[in-house]
Amino acid sequence: MLRERLPRHPAPASLRAAVVQALLPDTPRRSWWTLWLAPAVSSLATAMIAMLWIAPSLTTAPASDPLQLVSRAVMSEHARNILWGESRSDVVPAALPRAMEESGVALNWVFTGDEDIQLINAKPTYLEGRRGIQLAYEDARGHTVTYVILPAGKVVLPERGRVQVDRWRPLLRKENGFSLIAWRQQGLLCMMVSDLVSDNDLDTFKQYFVKVRSSTEPYAVY
Amino acid sequence: MADDEFRQQALQHLDALHNLAVYLTRNGSEAEDLVQETYVRAMRFSHRFQPGTHLRAWLFQILRNTFLTFYRLREREAALSEDGVPEGESPMFHDAPTQDSGVAGVHMDLERALARLPEEFKTPLLLAEVEGLALEDVARIMDCPVGTVKSRIFRAKERLRTYLKDYDTGSKA
Repeated sequence: MLRERLPRHPAPASLRAAVVQALLPDTPRRSWWTLWLAPAVSSLATAMIAMLWIAPSLTTAPASDPLQLVSRAVMSEHARNILWGESRSDVVPAALPRAMEESGVALNWVFTGDEDIQLINAKPTYLEGRRGIQLAYEDARGHTVTYVILPAGKVVLPERGRVQVDRWRPLLRKENGFSLIAWRQQGLLCMMVSDLVSDNDLDTFKQYFVKVRSSTEPYAVY
Repeated sequence: MADDEFRQQALQHLDALHNLAVYLTRNGSEAEDLVQETYVRAMRFSHRFQPGTHLRAWLFQILRNTFLTFYRLREREAALSEDGVPEGESPMFHDAPTQDSGVAGVHMDLERALARLPEEFKTPLLLAEVEGLALEDVARIMDCPVGTVKSRIFRAKERLRTYLKDYDTGSKA
């Protein structure tokens, strides 16, 4: 009698869902790094935004060594020559006058090569705000030598690092897998770069320097 | 019994547990809390359940013990109006909207009468008469002899008749 007369109260769907959820086996605990992932990413993003906001107001570090800036630019140019430079010795006679005209650097004499090394290209260049001329040589073993002549400006070659080569005392540096020989001549800054870096190769590089230095006479047109 | 199997079987008794919880707590949200707590405890102590025994009775026992632990004290503290219905509570017996007013009135009277019964009388009456449990199972749930269960059910019915007579007299007047 009571069963028929007393209304039943079945569990609502929400309760069923809650109970099922409560009875589910414990999910595996997340590892510590997943717990920290969201805050870490959030912090990183905040720091990046802050840096973007602050960066323009930061003072730019002044170039401490003009010689270093130029030498690195010349090395980069040399790397480009190795990767994409063209061997156009056949057009060098025509290219040289144009390169001299556009670069502001004239060459009374120029070393065009011998049995060891050949001039393969000449073109005007623009490095670190300086307009100049760039000559490319290639030796019998396939090594490329880049010779860049720029207005010297206020670039001073330090005594430290200079070496005696024949009758000259140019600056010799090794940087980023390249060798660089720099000297001043007629108010111009001359730099030769090559990948000849070992002791034996360095002697060869110095010989190339002597050939170039003794047979090339640049001067600034302007 | 594997946890998954236990879980599945236990969930089959959800409606019955909720029904009893509603009549014990007389509050919908408290009834839901009671049922959830019952299932959490059942899972926690599932290793104590003896396979082959009456799972339904075991769950009712947990529900009653949980109710006595957490709800009965509060129920006693609740202010009761003169007719035994707690004050300030919205009516919870609401699932007979399609019935005519006469039948609904009978339900209302019966529920109000049931609400006035002490838990010791109400629970065995509901378990035996509404849920259809055997007296032995009710005795196990109530943690008392079967004779005591019979006596309580008898007295519960007597009280219900008295209450219902009062309502009937009151409505005629």
